[in-house]
Amino acid sequence: MSQEKARIKGNSKRQNHAPLYLMLLPGLAYLIVNNYLPMYGLTIAFRKLDYQKGILRSPIVGFQNFEFLFKTKDAWIMIRNTVGYNIVFILLGIVVAVTIAIFMTEIGKMKVAKVIQPIICFPNMISIIVISYLVYAFLGTNGFINNTILGGQGISWYRESKYWPVILTIVHFWQVAGYSSIIYIATMSGIDAELYEAAKLDGANKMQQIFHITLPLIRPTVILMLLMSVGRIFNSDFGLFLQVPMNSGMLYPTTQTIDTYSYRALMELNDVGKSSATGVFQSVLGFALVVISNLIVRKVDPDSALF
Amino acid sequence: MKEVKVRHSKLENTTFRKVSLIVMILVAITCLLPFVLMISASITSEKELINEGYKFWPKTVSFETYKYLWAKRETIGRAYLMSILVTLVGTLTNLVITSLFAYPLYRKDFKPRNVVAFILFFTMLFSGGLTASYIIWTEMFHIKDTVWALILPNLLMGAMNVLLVRNYYSSSIPESIIEAARIDGASELRIYARIMIPLSKPVLITIALFAGMAYWNDWMNGTYYIKNPMLNTITVYLNNVMNNISFLKQKNSITEGLNIGEMDLPSVGVRMAIAFTAIIPVIVVFPFIQSKLIEGVIVGGVKG
Repeated sequence: MSQEKARIKGNSKRQNHAPLYLMLLPGLAYLIVNNYLPMYGLTIAFRKLDYQKGILRSPIVGFQNFEFLFKTKDAWIMIRNTVGYNIVFILLGIVVAVTIAIFMTEIGKMKVAKVIQPIICFPNMISIIVISYLVYAFLGTNGFINNTILGGQGISWYRESKYWPVILTIVHFWQVAGYSSIIYIATMSGIDAELYEAAKLDGANKMQQIFHITLPLIRPTVILMLLMSVGRIFNSDFGLFLQVPMNSGMLYPTTQTIDTYSYRALMELNDVGKSSATGVFQSVLGFALVVISNLIVRKVDPDSALF
Repeated sequence: MKEVKVRHSKLENTTFRKVSLIVMILVAITCLLPFVLMISASITSEKELINEGYKFWPKTVSFETYKYLWAKRETIGRAYLMSILVTLVGTLTNLVITSLFAYPLYRKDFKPRNVVAFILFFTMLFSGGLTASYIIWTEMFHIKDTVWALILPNLLMGAMNVLLVRNYYSSSIPESIIEAARIDGASELRIYARIMIPLSKPVLITIALFAGMAYWNDWMNGTYYIKNPMLNTITVYLNNVMNNISFLKQKNSITEGLNIGEMDLPSVGVRMAIAFTAIIPVIVVFPFIQSKLIEGVIVGGVKG
């Protein structure tokens, strides 16, 4: 009898999910405020601002803000820069990360690898603000490059936009190269060592082993990483493009990206309309690209697909 | 016999291995050099810095910059403490909310879990972006110039981390344990606190490290929401110093190294000293946590 009571009690407890809902509550509240309300906030881009009514209650006017935005020359420049840098970062990024991973795997058994591994990941742990200081130590008026390497007859790096595609690419890879190789190192460590032994017995040299064993076997990871970054091709590394060029207006032609433009329009020009229009542009295209690239991932490697 | 041979060939120093070693040592040095330059600039005398620029090996060593930092401890120390406070509070809250949220998602008998999982997951696909987020946080929640602005936006709970914890729960905590605890009359909260938390320590440490790093290095929230210098974190302080300098430079009103009283800009060396101080905690902690972080990337990357 008492046992049955206990079972009924147990059963009724199983039905009672109130505590579980309660546990979800803080997280759900946060998602609503931090993620879902901003999605609603995208409607700002379609409104004509009326500060008396408040930003979120201003009347809807349609695509006016987008017209204003795309009439400016800035629109073309920022889209070109964002996509351009991303293409370079993605393609070169795969080459760099895979190369480092091959080297790291090669020396993986040595003790020194245990020291090198954390060191090459370290730059990724540092705030971009501090990195902009580091870059400044090299490129500033008194910087190392002007004084020591160029012998005093310096270049005003922060006034010449033509150098920045190279500078930003170097800074980007200095920051992320080691860290981004981790995923490939992990994939390579999963490759059966016997494959290499067999290849060696057949007389394959190291290059042949890399091209015929390593690279084909890490291909799914490469494709996955590629597609995931393609989904973010309209998003730039905001910190890199805003902080490292030190907000220098003369560098905008090569350093302005969608994110920095959106930031400057909002915070410096107080142009909520254009800023939120860029936001919609980015969100909608980003969403479309993520969904499309995921569809492709699902075809290539169903296990890795996001959904 | 065969095994010995294999082992021998593994330790064999091939040319390729030598090349790899040399390249990787060079890469590692490249990663460290900028930090060496920063540290050496911070202990170079101001005069030498202005006359001869930043160098890896200073001729005249001076610790004036650090004395200056100590004298300015009210502003800089305050920013430093603010960073610590925000990092601690943010990371702990993040940990609690994330691990709580992951628990119902792990429970197969919790019917709405698919809906909730979708609500969570959708935030990874579609985002309102920074501008819309800024408008919501400032217009609806008025967090501008409050300490909440440093803790709440973007960093408090991320879908990726929740999924990481949920997957860890699913893969390492059998539901039979939960069932048994429930039959013993344990409440859900008790199960969470006494079973889930202790058994998922490894993944919780990993996400705490991710969150901690994100808070310590964050500059966006400070730049968007904080105007009151009393609320500066160390990264925001560094950012403001840099902005003031480039602002003045664009107006051509100072030459570098000159200290102008009004805006109170730290000198060249001092700036590097502050930047160095800002990363000391990362330098100290990183060697101990790096293996955990790397593990997290692998798990997150493979599942994500």
